[in-house]
Amino acid sequence: MSVKDKSEELYASLRFNLENIRNKEGIFGYILRNSKSASVDINDPTKIIDYAMLSAESIETGEVAAEIFRLGSMNSVVIEGNDVKVLSLVIGDQRLSIFMDKKVDHNKISKELDLTKHNQRRNASFTQNSEENQEQNEIEVPL
Amino acid sequence: MYANALKTALTEVRNICPDITRSFIFTKEGTIIAEAAQDAEISTEKTIYSFQSLIEKADTIGGLNTFLVNGNKGVAQISRVNNMYLALSASKKADMTYIQSVAKIIFPTVMKLLENIVSTPLKSAFSSQDLMAENLTGLFSGETAQINNEILKEWSKNLNNAHIDEIEIETSNGKIATCKVKAISEREFKEKSLIRIPEKIYRTLGVEKGELVKVKPIVPEGK
Repeated sequence: MSVKDKSEELYASLRFNLENIRNKEGIFGYILRNSKSASVDINDPTKIIDYAMLSAESIETGEVAAEIFRLGSMNSVVIEGNDVKVLSLVIGDQRLSIFMDKKVDHNKISKELDLTKHNQRRNASFTQNSEENQEQNEIEVPL
Repeated sequence: MYANALKTALTEVRNICPDITRSFIFTKEGTIIAEAAQDAEISTEKTIYSFQSLIEKADTIGGLNTFLVNGNKGVAQISRVNNMYLALSASKKADMTYIQSVAKIIFPTVMKLLENIVSTPLKSAFSSQDLMAENLTGLFSGETAQINNEILKEWSKNLNNAHIDEIEIETSNGKIATCKVKAISEREFKEKSLIRIPEKIYRTLGVEKGELVKVKPIVPEGK
């Protein structure tokens, strides 16, 4: 499977999970983006630009903090204001921020999205095995 | 004394929970007030600089109270405590409930006690002034509030002629915002006990025209 196909599969998988999460009580919306495109679904359209800037900044600050504090690779960032909480994740080449009410349990949302990560890893492993098998097959094929 | 007491508190917290790898307290302006004894020197300037930029953008979610990063080897949390920020990092095996207790209960209590005990706290306990809110709109409204120059002069006089360029605005339901301030220039607003709040902050605070808000100066360090 090509890198492009993997990215598209991950995007589709995330979108599917996000549709379920989006319908939950207290979820205000999400921003999902990669280097080429973005998918935005926010209750209040007037906040899209502010939320997009906050999303980018939170992930960037999270990466800086992970490096400085030696936290290893960043799994997630949570920022909490007086009104809203934001859960941000980097999954493959996708950068995702989910905006929610402070009372929503972000750990539950994170676990739901972890399934996507898990599937991604499983698929990556499956693809790698397939490629290895294919290589072996290629070797075994008599000329 | 205040900084020393905070440093002692941070070190003691770390002694109790050795999984905490680093802890320090810094101001919104980026000055580190106190820091626990560390095993290794790590530059935090980049994190603080990046965090300050995040604070500005977090106005849209009603300010920034907590920032939590989960890594595969550890966690870091920066929490707002009064007008300062407490940064804690810990290994993955650290008890997060304990970290939350430190950030949300222990340190706010320690700082409140210190402010009562220490005769010269970092920030003077300055009584706030009730002013009527008014929306400051227009292309050049910027992010600077405007109040009567007499109030600015009075504050400055009481603070050894310190230049007041930042204020804290608190609404009746406890929402707080800080912003730059300057004197009202338009004659029609000069004599009134009002504060003209830039539209973005006005919306964040959710105030109505004529509503009374508490306003106090943010005192420069060392004054």
